[in-house]
Order: sequence, then C-alpha cells, then structure tokens
Amino acid sequence: MSVLVDIQHVSKQYKEAPKPAVSDLSMTIEKGDVFGLLGPNGAGKTTLISMLCGLFPPSSGTIFINGHTHQTHSKASKQAIGVVPQEIALYLKLTAWENLNFLGHMYGLKGASLKENIKQHLSVLGLEANMHQKISSYSGGMKRRVNLIAGLLHNPQLLILDEPTVGVDVQSKQAIIDHLKKMNRENGMTILYTSHHLDEAEDFCNYIGIIDHGTLITQGKTKELIAQNNCSSIEEVYLKITGNNFRDK
Amino acid sequence: MKLLYSLYKEYKVLIRDKAGLAITFIMPTVLILIMTLIQDSTFKSVNESSVPLLLIDRDHDSLSQTLERYITNSKFFLVTKKQLTNEAAKKEIAQGHFFIGIIIPENTSKKLRERSTARVTKLLNSFGGDSASVEKTIDTSKIQLNLFFDPITKKSFKTTISNSIERIISQIEMQGMVSALNEKMRESFPDAKPSPMENTPLVSITEEYASYNNSTIIPNAVQHNVPAWTLFAMFFICIPLAGNIIKEREDGSAFRLLTMPGSYFIVMLGKLITYTIVSLIQFALMLCVGLFILPLLGLPQLNIGNSLPLLFLIALSAGLAATGFGLLVGTVATTHDQASLFGAVFIIILAAIGGVWVPTFVMPDIMKTISVISPLNWGLESFYAVFIRNSGLKEIWPEIVKLWLFFFVTLGGSYLFQKYKRLK
Repeated sequence: MSVLVDIQHVSKQYKEAPKPAVSDLSMTIEKGDVFGLLGPNGAGKTTLISMLCGLFPPSSGTIFINGHTHQTHSKASKQAIGVVPQEIALYLKLTAWENLNFLGHMYGLKGASLKENIKQHLSVLGLEANMHQKISSYSGGMKRRVNLIAGLLHNPQLLILDEPTVGVDVQSKQAIIDHLKKMNRENGMTILYTSHHLDEAEDFCNYIGIIDHGTLITQGKTKELIAQNNCSSIEEVYLKITGNNFRDK
Repeated sequence: MKLLYSLYKEYKVLIRDKAGLAITFIMPTVLILIMTLIQDSTFKSVNESSVPLLLIDRDHDSLSQTLERYITNSKFFLVTKKQLTNEAAKKEIAQGHFFIGIIIPENTSKKLRERSTARVTKLLNSFGGDSASVEKTIDTSKIQLNLFFDPITKKSFKTTISNSIERIISQIEMQGMVSALNEKMRESFPDAKPSPMENTPLVSITEEYASYNNSTIIPNAVQHNVPAWTLFAMFFICIPLAGNIIKEREDGSAFRLLTMPGSYFIVMLGKLITYTIVSLIQFALMLCVGLFILPLLGLPQLNIGNSLPLLFLIALSAGLAATGFGLLVGTVATTHDQASLFGAVFIIILAAIGGVWVPTFVMPDIMKTISVISPLNWGLESFYAVFIRNSGLKEIWPEIVKLWLFFFVTLGGSYLFQKYKRLK
C-alpha cells in the first residue's frame, strides 16, 4: 500500500506555552488504513489534527497529504481531507438537507450528484424521513450522524474523525461505525480516528498510534501492539504506556 | 456558486432567528418613534417654540395694547396677562413658570404721548426760534419698562428677547411721534386733507438657512432621529454578526469551513454581503417610518432631500462600516458575552459621541471636536447634508471616504487578527 499521510519531524510550539504541544513527531498513514490516534487529554492530538487539516502550519517539520503540503498546495491537500469535528458543527436553525447542501457546495460539489449523494448517506444512516426538519429538533445521535455525513460528502481520501461517537446511544454508535467501515471497505477511504472509547478503537482501527507529551510513543497494527505489550486489550496497552496519573488536573 | 449558497445559508439562518430579527428591525423602529416623540418638543423649543411671557399691564392704554398685539403676533411668545406686584412677578419667573416678565407701569401711554407731543412741538417751535418755553414744561426723564428674566436664561437668548421688545417699543415710539406731528400739522393747516401716513417698514429682512439648491428646511426632531437611530441600528448589527461568527467558532463550523479549500473566505464574504443588505433594508424601513408612520403621530414628515442614489451611497457606506466592525468584534471576542457587552457598550459610546442621543449642534465645543472621531457622526453628518441642505457628493465625499476607510481598517484588522490567532 502507498502512503497517504507522511508526517516528518513535526513540532509545534505555541507562543505562550512553556513546552511544545507536538515535538519532533514522525509517522505515516497508509492508504486504506483506519488509524486510531490515542492519547490522554493534552497529549497533542488536537494540535496534530489541526496541522493535518491545515488550520495552522507546524513550527518545524513537514506534513504531506497525498504528496502535497498545505503550504504549497493548499487546495489539493484540503480537498483530499474530510473532517468530522467533535462538536456538532452544523447550523441548528437549518434542516439536515439545507446543512448538507450548503456544506456540499462549499466542497465544490453541485447538481444532481450532490443531491443523490446526500440522499444516499441520509438513507443509510436512517435520516431520510427527517431530512427536512431543523437540526435543533434532532436527538444527539441524529445530530452526530448528520455531522458525520457532512465530512463524507465529497468522498475524501482521508477522513479525520475527532470523537465521532461521543454522547450517542448504542444504536447510533453502531450505525456510525458500520457506515465508516463500509466507506473504508468499499471506497478505500483512509480514516484517522481519535477517541477515548478504547474498546471501540480496538474494534474499529487496524492500526493504532499512542501519543503523549507531544510525541508518538508507540504505533503498530492493533493486534500486534497488544501482543507486543503482553496485554489483552488496547486499553491495557494504553494504561501501561501512559500511566494512571490524571493529565487534566 | 459557493458565494450564492453562502448567501442563501446566511439568509436562512437570519430569517429563522426571530430574536435577531426583532433586534434588527423592531428595535430601531421603536427607538425612532419614542425618541422622536420625546424630543419633538425639545427641538421645537430650539427652533420655533413660543416662549412663556408674563405681561403685567398697569397702563391699560394704547402702548400696552399695541405692545401686547405685537408680542402676540410675533408667535415667539406665549403671553399670559396677570395683575401682580413686582415682587410676585419676580417670584413667578424665578420659579420657572415664565421665561420673561414685562411690567408696564401706570400712565406709560399718557407719558409717551406727552413726551412725543412735546418733542414735536419743540422741533416745530425751533423753526420760529422758540424752544425754551416747551423745555420748561415737559418731563424729560425716560419712561421705565421693567423686564425680568428667568435666571437660567442664556445671555445670548436674553439679548435676543430684549432686542425684540426694544424694537417693538421703538416702533410704538415712532408711531407716537408721527401721530403728534400729524396733530400739530393739522393745527397749522386746518383745511388740508392729508392722506394717512403709511407706517409699514421700509426695510425688510428675509431670513433663510444657508443651503444648496435654495432649500430652506429647518432641522427638526424627525430629521435628526430617523437617520440617527437608523445608523445606531445599522451599527448595532455588529452584535448578531459577531455572535454568528463566535457561534460558528464554538460549534466547530468555523473549524470545518477552514478545512475546506477557500470556503472560509467565501463564508465571511457571504456574511459581509448579507449583513450589509440587512443594514440597507433597515435604512429603507426607517425611511418609510419617517415618511409614513411619524406623520400619523402628528410629527412632521421626513424630508429626504432630492437624491435617492446619494442616500443609498451613504447607507451602503455606513452599512459596510458597521459590518466591518461586526467582523472585527466577532474575530477578536472570544465569547458571545464578551462580544455582546463590548459591541453594545462601544456602539453606545460611539453613538453618544457621534450625536445620536444629543445632536452635535447643541453639544459644547469640546464634544463637537470629539464627535468627529465617531463613524456614526460621519454617517449622520452625511444624512443631515442630504436631508437638510440638499448637498451633493461634492460636499459629503470626505465623510463617505471616512466610512469606507473605517470598513477597510476593520476588515484588515479582523483578517490580521484571525491570522495572528491561527499562527499563535
């Protein structure tokens, strides 16, 4: 498989912070992988994802997405990415259809293919009957599902998911994970997934990276990582590597 | 296409925000109605109102009657006649019931007639070389009229009133002299049948406000309040606009848009255009209030001058300045509360400085100087120029340029701040 994301010696130092949020981090994500990026609060996950999305540049190092950097080929690298933020990044006063139609156009999609695409995703995730209702009237699970569709509309090469199932019921969680697996299997979509649901990460991701204090501590195929550390689950591996101390005290 | 959908999204979000719509359109309408009704009498007192005047007539003769007629006809005074002592009259004025009091002593008319006749006789006799006989018999002391003023009266206003009354008395004096001369001439030429002497003024003064295109519109409460509160409302949209930007940032929409190629700029442009259009709609609505609603409440109709394109240019410039300011507040403020508080306080200060609450023409000199830093003042002065003086672009372009500069500075400021924040 070829490399889709190549992160080379990336560091990020915020002006007022005593230590870098990300420090000399290197890693790759291959096309078709479901990569679980795990780490405690303040480990540097959000900073790394923000740089991957092109929100701000690294202080040093380079990030290549499909061979392009945000600094030199912003349009191409951004077009390759789909983002599903942890927050419900939708307009509550608009309907699901209006939200997705707007965001689809912002990705440069249009016409019948966009409409068909929206309908298909809504149908698969059980939202077709409610698509003309305002988002404000939706349950938490329904909002999460629309939030996910918004990142999938342009069929990105890399889908970045930040806690996509937080605060939803089991049924919605299952629907979301199943849909993501289908997109990965059928479209070859590469997924970068962050979550604190470690059992979900173990089930969903074929590759895991654990980040702490701004550096990548370990990475590997999920099953191999468990075996290498003589553990029975990713949660055990995670606690073994990052310790039991609180990080957000 | 992206821009079109961004505009459509902003339109949908706005139209479904009932509270935002109320702030945007109902608040300025209500403000215009209330403030115009409240300030109408104040503006009238500045412009054309009747000054309450106490007349104490102890003469009951031609002079007091003529004086009363002149004063009443001037429409400058609201005359109340009472019979009071000097002390009681002073007390009434000191208590603020009257702005001015005039006491006409007993026999004033009689004395005026006697002295006028004596002066004429003296003049005529002097032709025959005999003036000493008259000199001996007449009282040459001046006739005293007493004027009392409310202590709060400004010196300039007091002088104006005194001069007006002196002019009226001079006319009466002149008529007395002419009557005495007529009498004397009739004695000398009993068979003559002279035509009555005309006593209309030979010199008349026409007064007119200096304005372009011969317009003579006096500023009134409507002419002040409609543009003033329209501008206030236009700048007040910085709060919903800033709130809209902060909400997008808080709910992750801004994050998502920033990850899309070129979309964040388009969305910001969409907001800029949408809110500028909203400010233009506000302006049109407020003009309609001034033209059609205020007259129904007994207030004067708004005179909008004769250049609608120029009014559109001013409204567009002010709308862009307001939207630019909203973008800046939305970018700099970190929370909704911060934006609401800072935006509201700042706009209220700019409005106070700029002459929205109290017009600049009644401000002290120092505040007049300070007022020119407020963009609301630039807009207001431009509207005054078109509404009241029928000015053209040649006269108002400096204010228009200032509004556009304000727009570009706030826009540049929000861009730089956004860039700085992202790089931090």
